Amino acid sequence: MTADHSILSKPAGGKLAVGRFSLRAGSISDHILAGIPTIWLTVFFLAPLGFTVVFSFGRSTFGGVELGFTLNNYATALSGFYGAAFLRTLLFAATASGLCLLVAFPVAYFIARHTSRFRLLAITLVLIPYFSSFLIRVMSLTMLMSREGLLEKVLNTLHLHAGPLDLLDTQTAVFIGIVYAYLPIAVVPLVVVLDRIPKALTEASRDLGATRWETFLLVTLPLSRPGIATAIMLTAVPMLGEMVIPKLLGGSRGVLMGQALSSQYLQSQNYPLGSAMAVLVLLGVAVIVGLLAWITKGFAEVGR
Amino acid sequence: MTRILCSNGSSLTRRSMLGLLGAAPAAASLTSIGLGASRAWAATGQLNIYSWPDYFSTADLDAYAKKTGVTPNISTYDSDDTMFAKVNSPAGSGFDIVIPGSSWIKQLAAKGLLEEIDHSKLDLGSLDPHLLNRDYDPGNKYSIPKDWGLLGVIYNPEAVGGEIKTWEDFFQAGEKPGVSGKIRMSDSGWETIGPELWLEGKDWNTVGEADIRKAAERLKSFAKHVKSFSGLDVNSLANGAIVLAQTNQAKARAAIGLNPKLKWVVPGPMSELWVDNYVLIKDAPNLEQAYDFLAFQLRPEIQLAETEYIGFPAPLAGLREKLGADVKDADLIFGGKDVDFSKLTSFVVNPETVGFYSQLQTEIQAAAG
Repeated sequence: MTADHSILSKPAGGKLAVGRFSLRAGSISDHILAGIPTIWLTVFFLAPLGFTVVFSFGRSTFGGVELGFTLNNYATALSGFYGAAFLRTLLFAATASGLCLLVAFPVAYFIARHTSRFRLLAITLVLIPYFSSFLIRVMSLTMLMSREGLLEKVLNTLHLHAGPLDLLDTQTAVFIGIVYAYLPIAVVPLVVVLDRIPKALTEASRDLGATRWETFLLVTLPLSRPGIATAIMLTAVPMLGEMVIPKLLGGSRGVLMGQALSSQYLQSQNYPLGSAMAVLVLLGVAVIVGLLAWITKGFAEVGR
Repeated sequence: MTRILCSNGSSLTRRSMLGLLGAAPAAASLTSIGLGASRAWAATGQLNIYSWPDYFSTADLDAYAKKTGVTPNISTYDSDDTMFAKVNSPAGSGFDIVIPGSSWIKQLAAKGLLEEIDHSKLDLGSLDPHLLNRDYDPGNKYSIPKDWGLLGVIYNPEAVGGEIKTWEDFFQAGEKPGVSGKIRMSDSGWETIGPELWLEGKDWNTVGEADIRKAAERLKSFAKHVKSFSGLDVNSLANGAIVLAQTNQAKARAAIGLNPKLKWVVPGPMSELWVDNYVLIKDAPNLEQAYDFLAFQLRPEIQLAETEYIGFPAPLAGLREKLGADVKDADLIFGGKDVDFSKLTSFVVNPETVGFYSQLQTEIQAAAG
């Protein structure tokens, strides 16, 4: 996403004047078209977000909020246990997103380079799991990984494991589940960016004496930065709020921010503290997005 | 709360959505605009119920529809917390009947969200007195029991190597090799910390922060033995992935159906009795219809049918004897043959302490990671 922005930034600058010019003559329908999403976002995103920010400075009245200005909620949300949970969540998202990228890159590379006529089919195959509900996909993993499940039978048959397999409700199961669930959304941006790298550049690199590995490391990888950044963003950001997979596959052990946050809202009925945590998670997301945007800055000059 | 024990994964979407949006109350107040408006048009001949999913026998609902021409609109929730959050928001005003657990009734009433029940319109005479006039609602001013359940323990005697009679036995068995790492505990703070409080001779409804924290310390060090705090999958008990678990009697009955070697116990010195109750929402739009529906639900033959359908006992006195001989493990529906109601206590949410219970539960689960 960021990548597209930076790629387009130059030509868009020139077109902007044209756009403004045509705006005067622009039909009312254009305004309506633009207005619908604006109103939608204002009502269903900005307004609740505003409430959340306002609540985060208030005092809890058990299932209610007394508006005011206190930083106590933020102090609690950042102190001791919750601070540690927040850091653990960041680490979790970084690790899981990194794993996802590691698996997704070879898949994307293969699709971009070796599927020419069957590319659409390959991408469709990657995306097919998305046609079923997220929850159903994760639930079916519990069946695969449980005792007497398919995975246990396969591993036992191949003599890679003996006896009952206790994979479910472990951290390993959580990482398997999360990589599986987020893999498709990491693959797609990588395919797009790898596909765009001109073949001439890699050929030139080989002609100038670089090995295949050097070519990959010095040409392909740097040029795929915006795809990597987008893939990280699309996976790491939702992982920061992830709570379904740790609950279904990890036995709800080693609490992450998403669980801590929802328990403040629901079990403790402490909306201000929950709001403060939500704002902090949002800030975390903003920092990640900012960093990724910064990493891909100036890509337009490199790529074209 | 307890139903989180038995609810499966389907309960997660809504909670996670709320968490992710981070703006549950705001979102709720927005949706309420819509509900509030529809309320003005609500004619009689309607009934809006907010309940656990699949909590009414479909045959009984059909019978009621045939008799009165009214098919109740049932919206569902997945935890008492979610229920409270919604009923406590303007979005709750469209409902007539809600089925909160015993722990939340006092808070719902304190917030002025409940309609006082007119006892001249309903006869509670046929109900089990053990389930009436309990401390969460003296005199049943706001609530009528619908069904009830217990916090108990299901275990595999071979793996545990003995009988479990008390919560102390539970904790000690949990540390044994072969049991450690194969334990399931509740995701509710008061259900994990409560057993230790009972062992210390304390009342979970009256203890203060210091006592709750102290009891939670034992759970934090015990947490390393726990495999899961998520909903209990009865198959994991059948195949031995879990050998010791806190759960309710209905789950235990299902697990024993799969593996008859398993044993169920309601440990001493105390354990939990939760009661799900019908309550009427303040200024309910279809109050008369609601009374009519409750009277229908309280009929003995309906209570019997509901019990067989949902697997939790209705409050009808002498229900056990009336249950058909073909019902498998019928005693287990009632928590076993020798349940002693004097050794059962119902949790009552107290705004002063419930935050500690849930915060400490989060810490216990984190300690298990």
